[in-house]
Amino acid sequence: MASSANSNPVPKLYKSVIEDVINEVRELFLDEGVDEQVLLELKTLWENKLLQSKAVEGFHTEEQAALQAAQLQLQQQQQQQQQQQQHHQVQHVQQVQHVQHVTQTAQTQQVILPPQQQQAPQQQVIVQDPKILQHMSATGMSAAATAATLALPTGVTPYQQLITSQGQILQVVRAPNGAQYLIQQPQQQILLQQQMQPGGVQAPVIQQVLAPLQGGMPQQTGVIIQPQQIVLASNKVQGNTQVMQATPMVQQPGQAAVQVQQVQGAAAPQAQPQQQAQQQAQAQPQAQPPMMLQVDGAGDTSSEEDEDEEEEYDEDEEEEKEKDGGEDGQVEEEPLNSEDDVSDEEDQELFDTENVVVCQYDKIHRSKNKWKFHLKDGIMNLNGKDYVFSKAIGDAEW
Amino acid sequence: MAYQLYRNTTLGNSLQESLDELIQITPQLALQVLLQFDKAINTALASRVRNRVNFRGSLNTYRFCDNVWTFVLNDVEFREVTDLVKVDKVKIVACDGKSESTQNKSDK
Repeated sequence: MASSANSNPVPKLYKSVIEDVINEVRELFLDEGVDEQVLLELKTLWENKLLQSKAVEGFHTEEQAALQAAQLQLQQQQQQQQQQQQHHQVQHVQQVQHVQHVTQTAQTQQVILPPQQQQAPQQQVIVQDPKILQHMSATGMSAAATAATLALPTGVTPYQQLITSQGQILQVVRAPNGAQYLIQQPQQQILLQQQMQPGGVQAPVIQQVLAPLQGGMPQQTGVIIQPQQIVLASNKVQGNTQVMQATPMVQQPGQAAVQVQQVQGAAAPQAQPQQQAQQQAQAQPQAQPPMMLQVDGAGDTSSEEDEDEEEEYDEDEEEEKEKDGGEDGQVEEEPLNSEDDVSDEEDQELFDTENVVVCQYDKIHRSKNKWKFHLKDGIMNLNGKDYVFSKAIGDAEW
Repeated sequence: MAYQLYRNTTLGNSLQESLDELIQITPQLALQVLLQFDKAINTALASRVRNRVNFRGSLNTYRFCDNVWTFVLNDVEFREVTDLVKVDKVKIVACDGKSESTQNKSDK
């Protein structure tokens, strides 16, 4: 409890109101034949919502405060570990030839790629000797990961395995030419079937999802994404980390974006540009709904008429503005005629809350255009926070 | 009956949401709970709160209907002894604070 003279009266007030209400309605509940348990549940729900709204500072019980503190710590730890992980990965790229045991000790830490929620992730970081596949099974990789690993062509071996908080398994693969790739085995993503080279083993488990941020990906002979970029990329984009790439042959069926790279070169490079175009067209709507839809180019299959209709519909939906010139086929973030709009809505949406004061008036006075307000017993929600007053006096000019 | 004015506050809304979520609570019972909440919050505000706030801004709109004043102010500063809060826009809804005599609490 704050001992300063400036302690916020709001939490105490709210708590006392909650207690009063709950106690008063207990009888009502019993009269209706509703169990006391429901009453307690009501109270809990009520308090939780208040907590979640963050409108009240220092609101509730010690338990919940402890929970919050724990959550904060967990988040901080995760962020620190991410940074450390990135550092380590940089080192690995540089030490291509010396990988083997160098980092093994250093990487016993747990790595969590951008977590969304605070689940209890299974965290494994396994540093493996690139030349020894057997280590993988020994270190307890999941069956799926093992299969995936074995399915990879020789020379491309998982060198590190990361598991995101969503239980997705990412494998950092190091190819002989020194490039590193990450292969994701997402649970939610669309399954791709890989076709290994003739005689190879199919590894249906390996799935690839393309990072929507591919825009400027350098395309060298076989290097697509560096792990650092991936981690960063997935930091920017919510949820499902992207990352992908290459295994020598991956086909790209309709939806999921896949980047195919061939370490050994074969036919993939020809397929790549096409696949990439498709990927981008289709990855964007999937992974980043708020971004613009590509309605022209390789990925678009609808007829012209449909295109126009879709465009207009999508644009209206996305931008929620009335637009006159939406038929260019060009989806722009800021429509040409947006400046014609007089409404002030956008400007004042810095905070989601509309600042509201709910109160009673003692006296409202006006002289010419000068107004004076005498108010009392009010609850205010300003900039997301709650305040109360017993008296409020104000001045305004109209 | 006390003003139902305070139902659209953080406290009031979270109560309403909670009531909605619990299916064991009949609508009739929920209404009773809300009425009880109205009484409790009115009483609490009148008796437990003892602080003063000043504010200044520019008046954008005003409305007086059914004895309820609704104002929208812009660029307002709310000043309390302890701190200062600035907002670009605020809506003030105020019920008549004087005629409590016409708002008799029921004996329920």
